[in-house]
Amino acid sequence: MAAETRRSETEAAEAKARIKELALKRGALVCGVAGVKSFDAVAPEGHRPGDLLPGARSVVVVGGAPPRAGDWISPIPEHQETMGTSQRIEPIGRQIAYHIEEELGYYALFVPGGVSRGNQPFLSLMLAAELAGLGSRSLAGPILHAKYGMLYYAAVVTTLPLDPDPPLETPVCPAPSCLEMWEREGTTPCIKVCPASAGGCLDGRIENGRFVRTQYDRNRCHTRVYTNWVGGFQKSLEAVLDEPDKEKRKMILHGSFFTKSLWSITYSGQCQAQCFECIRVCPVGQEYRTKK
Amino acid sequence: MGFFTISPELYRQYKDQILELANSFQRDVNEHLPPGERKRGLSDREIAERLGLEERVVTEIRCVAERDYYSLDEWEKAIQFKKQACREYVETKIIRFLKKEE
Repeated sequence: MAAETRRSETEAAEAKARIKELALKRGALVCGVAGVKSFDAVAPEGHRPGDLLPGARSVVVVGGAPPRAGDWISPIPEHQETMGTSQRIEPIGRQIAYHIEEELGYYALFVPGGVSRGNQPFLSLMLAAELAGLGSRSLAGPILHAKYGMLYYAAVVTTLPLDPDPPLETPVCPAPSCLEMWEREGTTPCIKVCPASAGGCLDGRIENGRFVRTQYDRNRCHTRVYTNWVGGFQKSLEAVLDEPDKEKRKMILHGSFFTKSLWSITYSGQCQAQCFECIRVCPVGQEYRTKK
Repeated sequence: MGFFTISPELYRQYKDQILELANSFQRDVNEHLPPGERKRGLSDREIAERLGLEERVVTEIRCVAERDYYSLDEWEKAIQFKKQACREYVETKIIRFLKKEE
């Protein structure tokens, strides 16, 4: 029995190493594993791995495909709107699902990057990344990796038993320079650029080197991250339907906002982010995205 | 109507409560807060149980309210905000330093 246990542990360790190797070879920057039980304390029923895949044991999370350093310093924010997308990390997740099913013989479900209803995800990819030890939640919202900063993530829920990676013991956010800024100015780069108190999305305080009383207005963030996306389309369509004047309707329908929204939503099947301002000023990952 | 919708009256009655309980306004969600302070938004099922509504009704009210909360003006503000924030960052943090290196 002990020999059998040892063999299965060895097989699981080999499978995990092989999956991580495959992920990095395919272009992911990071890969980690979360145990399904770790979701129970934080995710509500209906949004846990076992709700998506009966018998789930592990969640493999891959991260990568951040905007390039040049994208971050372009003075034209619209450029980054098309470069900030989860579409380049998702194929790596699907390849891992394929590998687990075809090579290892276990069920593997690629978690769709979209939403089930409204703004609710099937499974929180941010939570999966956090529990897989790939980063920690920032005051700005996204999970930050200590070296790379913000990354896009994809996850695969599987019946394959894998040894989970531990979540980070020390949070990546706030960064040391943010602590200094807080002492000096009573704010941080992300709060300063997008303060909830002045029409932005973020708020929070730092006490004893940690954030406390954090706040994030997801609905406002949605207007910024998905300005020309489904929400913007719905709002502007409503304006068109409410407009009785034919000529004025034409100005809306053929105008730049409606047209750009159509371009965005018909290029569908991907998560197209359109606001990066809180992360643009974030010091985490700055070294990685600083070039000559 | 051929698909499920809710009445405007029911929507108006519950929209604020549902947004408050869901993930729309996330307070103290970060994992490294002091022990016991981490919170999460409720799922539609949990909200339905709390308010005595059907889950599907909660889902529908939440979906409409998520879009309805801010007016179209907020989308225009978003465009202006991004242009200004991006330009300020590039001018103060990037161009100034690139010029120094020349």
